[in-house]
Amino acid sequence: MLRAGLWLRRRAEDVLAALLGVMFAAFMIQIVFRYFFNLPTGWTTELTVVCWLWMVLWGAALVVKESEEIRIDLVTSMVGRRGRVVLAIGIALAIVVLYALSLPASYSYVSFMKVEKSSYLKIPMNWLYSIYLVFIVAVIVRYLWLLWELFRGKAPEEEDPTKKISAL
Amino acid sequence: MNVSDAFAITVLVIVALSLLGLPVGHAMIGGSVLYLLMKGLDPGTAAEQLLNGMYGSFLLLAIPLFILAAEFMNSGAIMDRLLRFCNALVGRFRGGMAHVNVLQSVIFSAMSGSALADAASSGKIMQSLMTRDGRYPAAFAAALTAASAVMGPVIPPSIPLVVYALVSDTSIGYLLIGGIIPGVLIGVAQMALIAMVAKRRNFPVEPPVPLRELPRLTMEAMPALLMPVILLACLYSGATTPTEAAAAAAMYSLLASVVIYRTMKGRDMYHSLLSSARVTASIGMLIAGAMVFNYVITAENIPKTLAATLKAWELSPFMFLLLANILLLILGCVLEGTTILLIFVPVLLPTAHALGIDPVHFGVMVVVNVMIGLCSPPYGLLLLMMVKVTGVRLKDLIREMMPFHASMIVALVLITYVPWLTLVLPRLMGYKG
Repeated sequence: MLRAGLWLRRRAEDVLAALLGVMFAAFMIQIVFRYFFNLPTGWTTELTVVCWLWMVLWGAALVVKESEEIRIDLVTSMVGRRGRVVLAIGIALAIVVLYALSLPASYSYVSFMKVEKSSYLKIPMNWLYSIYLVFIVAVIVRYLWLLWELFRGKAPEEEDPTKKISAL
Repeated sequence: MNVSDAFAITVLVIVALSLLGLPVGHAMIGGSVLYLLMKGLDPGTAAEQLLNGMYGSFLLLAIPLFILAAEFMNSGAIMDRLLRFCNALVGRFRGGMAHVNVLQSVIFSAMSGSALADAASSGKIMQSLMTRDGRYPAAFAAALTAASAVMGPVIPPSIPLVVYALVSDTSIGYLLIGGIIPGVLIGVAQMALIAMVAKRRNFPVEPPVPLRELPRLTMEAMPALLMPVILLACLYSGATTPTEAAAAAAMYSLLASVVIYRTMKGRDMYHSLLSSARVTASIGMLIAGAMVFNYVITAENIPKTLAATLKAWELSPFMFLLLANILLLILGCVLEGTTILLIFVPVLLPTAHALGIDPVHFGVMVVVNVMIGLCSPPYGLLLLMMVKVTGVRLKDLIREMMPFHASMIVALVLITYVPWLTLVLPRLMGYKG
């Protein structure tokens, strides 16, 4: 179970790295075609934007850990272990409920977008936007898993400023 | 000012969830969903705002590219060459290694857009160079590394300036060019401070490097030094879009590290891509959350209401800038800067606009504020990181930080009240502001 989870995590990381790799390559193609051959390429612009959207939602849903995300630990650093568990359960419940409530409407928005196609690659927009549903479902599942672990008595992870991902 | 109960509850929920430890991006999405539900609006609007906002913001693609460009250059071997080059230039002065620290930060700032990345990549090595044989107090060295990292996002490239460009609809090219002089000013202020205390504290001098060595050391550092030159040339000439300029810089730094320095292997390339994409996902999540929450703020007409309120106070531009600086510095002590840029700055912008404050000038000023916040307790990520990296006590670090804070505040006052410093370069390249 643990090994399967680790394997899946690695593959999720591979996809994330690949999305950035494809975006980078598309930019190179775009620059070379536009400035060296004077041939503008609309499809590369579209591909890069799709990679960006997917990179953020895929990465946030499946790769970046809660303890690496930017969060404010003013309160959590002041309370004891028991307090941290209670707080962690509270916020996990809140996010699960709120995201679950938004899921049906999000689904109908995304599937409604099938009426539009992307400008250059002619991909139906509901496909491109489907990553949002993956994101919402993955976040719900992750926080349910976190709840399960908390109820079994596992302590929430300590905050470590060197592991924080901030782009500032 | 009048806000609906639903809005008040939404803000309370977002603040509470964030304070209790939910990642801020999720808190903003969750809170906005609650608002839509309370108002009887379609909760699918959250999806719509997020997806269309992210899909439509081509400008934001500069963020992963800036991160990637710096990541390709981030290797010990390149760092060594840059340090030798800096040492040959300023090591001979009293407090030489401290000057080297500032100078290498200026160079790194011109290659990377992130202060934390700069401190993380150079923090350890600078600390060991400065504290070897007890030459500098450890807390001083750590404070200096944190303070000089502040230049990272002020000198282009800059990730916070991209975020500001997004929320303010200002040209990213002019913003990046506008950051050059203010960024260098911060570095000069720090070097002046070092020069002032070096004698009193009896800081050591590095063995002078003979000047005939300088051409060779420069040649070794040159491929790395060319990267910012290429970025600025692309931006300044306007030959490429700013996003393409970021891509060209990343391409160049990949070539330099593979072909010239030979520090990059296939495996390293994968790690550079992955770690850049992780940072992108993390900051992208904050931006995505803010895009959803922005719908709520706009629906409640908050920025306009606030602008009207502030207008009734009849603030002069001088007072407004002063209050904005104080507010941003206080917020910087307790919040991560991206959140400040995404949530609080848009609320100030209409007032700044009404008072005739230039958006490029205001943007650079805001980013300097946010960067000082990174060094300010209790929630100064740079401080926390240096404590972790160097093992000095937070109390000592904060004490040694105070003179640097003073020097940065002096620089901030100049940047705030002498807009010329920010605007002269953008105007030279055709900015009408």
